[in-house]
Amino acid sequence: MSLLRRSSLRFLARHPGQMALTVAGVALGVAVVVAIDLAIQSAREAFRISTETVAGRATHQVDGGPGGIPDSVFTRLRVELGIRSSAPVVDGHALSPLLPGRALRILGVDPFSEAPFRPYLAPTDGELDVGVLLTEPGSVLLSRETAEALGVAPGNALPVTVGAKSADLRVAGVLTPGPGLGRQGLRDLVLTDVSTAQSLLEIPGHLTRIDLAVPPGEAGDALLSRVRSVLPGGALVRTTGTRTDQMAGMLAAFDLNLTALSLLALVFGMFLIYNAMTFSVVQRRELLGALRAVGVTRREVRDLVLGEALVTGVVGSLLGLALGVLLGRGLVKLVTQTINDLYFVLSVESLTLPVAVLGKAGLLGVAATVLAGVPAIREAVQAPPRASLTRSVVEDRTRRLVPRAAGVGVALGALGGLLLLLPTRSVLVSFGGLFGLLLGMALLTPLATVAFVGLLRPVLFRTVGILGTMAARGVVASLSRTAPAVAALVVAVSVTVGLGTMIASFRGTVVRWLDHTLQADVYLSPPAPMASRAEGALPRGLAERLRDVPGVEGVSTYRGVTVPTEEGEMRLVALELHPRGERAFRFQDGDPSTAFSRFRAGEAVLVSEPFAYRRGLDVGDTVTLRGESGTARLPVAAIFTDYGSDQGVVMMGRVGYDRLFQDRRITSLGFFLAEGVEPEGVMEGLRSRLGEGEAVVMRSNQGLRQASLEVFDRTFAITAVLRALAFTVAFIGVLSALMALQLERGRELGVLRANGLTPGQVWTLVTTQTGVMGAVAGVLAVPAGLVLAAVMIFVVNKRSFGWTLQMEVGPELLLQAVGLAIAGALLAGLLPAWRMSRTSPALALRDE
Amino acid sequence: MPATPGSSPPVVLRLQGLRKAYQEGGRRHEVLHDATAEILRGEFVVLLGPSGSGKSTLLNLVCGIDLPDEGVVQVAGEDLTALSERERTLFRRRHLGFVFQFFNLLPTLTVLENLLLPLELKGRVGAEEEARARGLLERVGLAARADAFPDRLSGGEQQRVALARALVHDPDLILADEPTGNLDPDTGERVMDLLDSLVREDGRTLLAVTHSRELADRADRILRLDHGVLQETSRGRAASGGEAAP
Repeated sequence: MSLLRRSSLRFLARHPGQMALTVAGVALGVAVVVAIDLAIQSAREAFRISTETVAGRATHQVDGGPGGIPDSVFTRLRVELGIRSSAPVVDGHALSPLLPGRALRILGVDPFSEAPFRPYLAPTDGELDVGVLLTEPGSVLLSRETAEALGVAPGNALPVTVGAKSADLRVAGVLTPGPGLGRQGLRDLVLTDVSTAQSLLEIPGHLTRIDLAVPPGEAGDALLSRVRSVLPGGALVRTTGTRTDQMAGMLAAFDLNLTALSLLALVFGMFLIYNAMTFSVVQRRELLGALRAVGVTRREVRDLVLGEALVTGVVGSLLGLALGVLLGRGLVKLVTQTINDLYFVLSVESLTLPVAVLGKAGLLGVAATVLAGVPAIREAVQAPPRASLTRSVVEDRTRRLVPRAAGVGVALGALGGLLLLLPTRSVLVSFGGLFGLLLGMALLTPLATVAFVGLLRPVLFRTVGILGTMAARGVVASLSRTAPAVAALVVAVSVTVGLGTMIASFRGTVVRWLDHTLQADVYLSPPAPMASRAEGALPRGLAERLRDVPGVEGVSTYRGVTVPTEEGEMRLVALELHPRGERAFRFQDGDPSTAFSRFRAGEAVLVSEPFAYRRGLDVGDTVTLRGESGTARLPVAAIFTDYGSDQGVVMMGRVGYDRLFQDRRITSLGFFLAEGVEPEGVMEGLRSRLGEGEAVVMRSNQGLRQASLEVFDRTFAITAVLRALAFTVAFIGVLSALMALQLERGRELGVLRANGLTPGQVWTLVTTQTGVMGAVAGVLAVPAGLVLAAVMIFVVNKRSFGWTLQMEVGPELLLQAVGLAIAGALLAGLLPAWRMSRTSPALALRDE
Repeated sequence: MPATPGSSPPVVLRLQGLRKAYQEGGRRHEVLHDATAEILRGEFVVLLGPSGSGKSTLLNLVCGIDLPDEGVVQVAGEDLTALSERERTLFRRRHLGFVFQFFNLLPTLTVLENLLLPLELKGRVGAEEEARARGLLERVGLAARADAFPDRLSGGEQQRVALARALVHDPDLILADEPTGNLDPDTGERVMDLLDSLVREDGRTLLAVTHSRELADRADRILRLDHGVLQETSRGRAASGGEAAP
């Protein structure tokens, strides 16, 4: 190893604190990015594997409408058309009291049709007797792990509820993972035969889909057109990939928002690196000058500092990867929970560790370190030989840069603003605009700092005296060090304010939405695998049985189904709406006086704002619905506000639904009580009319409101975690910047001490200065945070999820921001103040 | 290479019509005005001048850190003004040795490693180079401290290491900037003795910028810089019978 390289490594080793801070900056940034990426990838991988396990080798699938596909269609495919590569499937979800909080997937298959699709289920494959499923109704197969999680063994009963129906299944055997059949694929899967599944899901004589293995080319096309010729209305043939892609696509915006947040932590990490590396170069300015004088070229100096950046980047990234895997284990639970709450049922067995994700994050960490080290490298390369660059020269240069930085900041901010104003729906472009604004604000900070400190100086002189003036002057005099610290604090606090305002506004909007949406007094639905929407169906005839319970004035019925369409799955809700329930709707567009009558008559649909946004629909446009009884092109009568699903929902009157679909079931009921009747009594009455084995969830208006807000808070848990992590990284960065600044002023403070400044006065000086910086950062962070909040609320949320939120600005949040900035800065000044007040002036002077 | 009787030693440094000015607050401030001088191989020359007279600027031009507005700086036959920044840097590492006022030893290299650095920059370091470095340490009386780090040495010891470092790679010209400026008189005296003997024993060429009258007294020639004008004021040791004067 060359002497130069050895000298550089020894320098790093001699400054373990500085090295640790830089490494921590890289490690924390990389850890957050890798953790989020791993959590998202694990969820996606789990989804892919379970979809593939269930789909097997099927190339296409026929999906039915809400009522499913009649058995007879399958029989015609096989017998009349002779399509042997087809298999019937009944697919749905169940819950078990043995495994609370986790949904089980019921997969009903015909073992004799399975060979071309899921060979592991063919009767001849392996020692497992799949045939037992056919001979013993109610028997099921589970993976060993699922059986262990449920605490059941072959021969045991497995109690489940499907929709509102309770049933006892019998565990007939245990599936062992093997080639092509991983543990993840079998996780929470309950395999049974078609008729058991039909009976559980209450769709006798119907299938949820038919799997097909279609050869490529013309033969395949011909086969598909033959299949289409026998399909009933509402059924659709799709490639298996299309459906999987469409479902995975639902997560795109969610993923992107999390990734953007995680990148923010890396950006803050970069500030930390920038600061620590610049400090290490500034410390060695004279030394580098001497090296240049004895003939070390600029390139060699550059390589030296670049080498240090690379070593730090590699060490930090490796540490970050390890930390990220640990953090990812926690985050994957939050991500999975949110996907389950908002999108679809998913169970993730473990964190997958794709080499690509780790490699990408590692490279990102090293690249970010080198990028953050560029100013330090420039400073090192520009160190003039022999003559040491004096502090004042550096500061003069910095001060000259202030107007230029502000100019670039304004330009970047304007560019960011333009990106946000572009008539695009791209979330990526929106985040580009947002980052442009953030960077613009950071670059404007030095100018704003100079201006604010100028205003503060007379006040400080009057309150703290000459020390106050010195503190204020010190901020401007060391602008090369103070401005980046203030900028980092501004960005960190403004992001906290922005995210906080966005979440508070979102919550406020949802609270108000729930207030008007939840019009009924008591709600009744089957236990659902997903928290955000009712799934499954209530027992037939239950609605009729409950309508005349004393105290009930009227009932709204709700039928929520997912129907396949060419553009992806569509959430369709059929409502039999009690007149009092009309108040649940807030129309953004459309005439309420005519919309409701057309909606009730089944002549038009109401669509939610996200649905209209995603499909580019306006009032008057049509929505095509294909049911067993035909196809209807219904006009959109109104667009209503809805925060229940970012995928959007189409609502139609029950009359119209019944005309189009043969499904007569009901998912949930809303009871409107007579004036003055307490819900508790009515709920008692309703409960008394439930039959044996009828499991329903009954909630009062307040109860459902509470439960909905709990789901809301849960889905924002991950945002809160990321916000806290990003702020922590930023705070460490600011802490290190302020500490470096104060430690660098050791000689100055030594001179002051030698001239009679007491340790107490040193405290006052240092903390006043950091306090001034905090105050400046706090004051700047408030408007910056509000701009960020507005962008996140009106642009990012709209483009990501399609809904409009009302912005709410709480004074406490803004005060909190200023307080946070000042407290943070003061805290960062404590250690240097303590050190400086204790250091003997002689030592401080000699150190220089 | 010592001068042979009857022939004039070769010129190591030639300054010809040097002009250098800086802009200060919109005004042009001329630091060097038509500076011309020559230093021959084996000469010990001192540059005197009050603060702000342009000594540092001149030293910067001699080592190629800065370029003149006009004129020629020739070191060991090479015109530095015709070289690129990188070429001048590479030239410095091969042909120049430095002694700084604040020693500027690398705190993260041992005493021996500090000496090996110029050799390594010049080429490969082997047993021969290490022996040479150790030999020089012996001569400055610090052989026993070869493995110590500079912060363990006193100021005088550090400057002795710096002297050895400036000589170790056999440069054509040694430049010293206030070599005793940061030392107490006794230590300064000892460092001067050492500098004097090292330079003269090996027939080195030295240009030292100083305020020290004692150091000037040891020189063969004294150049004085005043308000940008370079003049030879006396012949230093040559006047009192020194042998290296032309």
